[in-house]
Amino acid sequence: MTTTALEHELKQMIIETLELEDVTPDDIDPEEPLFVEGLGLDSIDALELGLALQKRYGITLESEAESSRQHFANLKSLAALVESRRQK
Amino acid sequence: MLRRRLNLLGRAVCDMLATLDPEADRIVLHASRHGDGERTLEMLYGLNEGEPLSPARFGLSVHNATAGVYSIASGNRRSQQAIAASGGEWAALIAEASGYLADGQPSLLLVFGDQPVPQRFAAYAPASLSAAVALRVGSQPTEGARRLVETMTPAGGTTLQPLDVIDWLMGSHQRIACPISQRGWQLESLRS
Repeated sequence: MTTTALEHELKQMIIETLELEDVTPDDIDPEEPLFVEGLGLDSIDALELGLALQKRYGITLESEAESSRQHFANLKSLAALVESRRQK
Repeated sequence: MLRRRLNLLGRAVCDMLATLDPEADRIVLHASRHGDGERTLEMLYGLNEGEPLSPARFGLSVHNATAGVYSIASGNRRSQQAIAASGGEWAALIAEASGYLADGQPSLLLVFGDQPVPQRFAAYAPASLSAAVALRVGSQPTEGARRLVETMTPAGGTTLQPLDVIDWLMGSHQRIACPISQRGWQLESLRS
């Protein structure tokens, strides 16, 4: 599938917010895990991404771990979250 | 991946520690007078504006941030200490190191690093350049090692900074002194 504009925007946001110096948008596979495996992000990155989603899209994540785990599983699920819950 | 969280000085420290202890199995004592004042001040400005804090930046605003990131990145699980001593950092490092060695540790790592204080506070602290130095010290003579000899010195004079220690280790002068702690040091050949 082709990368949607929103997915590309999210890739840019992830790279800038988390200061991923050696990563380009093309390096992020929309279906690969973002955390631990795949891109290799950690729990501090998850908090940082949560803050970025709040700032840019007005999305407040519930603190319940299981749903956050699903939203943050990969770029596609993150894009789906933004699509359905964005306030701006 | 963790390097991205560190500034240039923190990266230099991690590189030096990896060189001094490839097995990442030594205790680390990390001294810095001011730490990363710039980052902390930026967060305070942000808080004052009602902005949410960046979790990553908050996590790195503590005095043991560099040592902490090093321990995660290298897998070093030994004890660590983060020291600030109002200008007496080098003397405090040597005092702590002496304690560990006397306690039976054969070898440990020392780091002394600092960077300029934020402009806002510059009038209250001596000017300092970004610099860090790391050393491996031990209780037993090893090939190429030198003996560190400590003496009492009179108070007065300028504060000892990382760059002074580097110059001394490179041989630009024989002794260094930490006036606030009234201690001085010189290196002697182990054969003498």
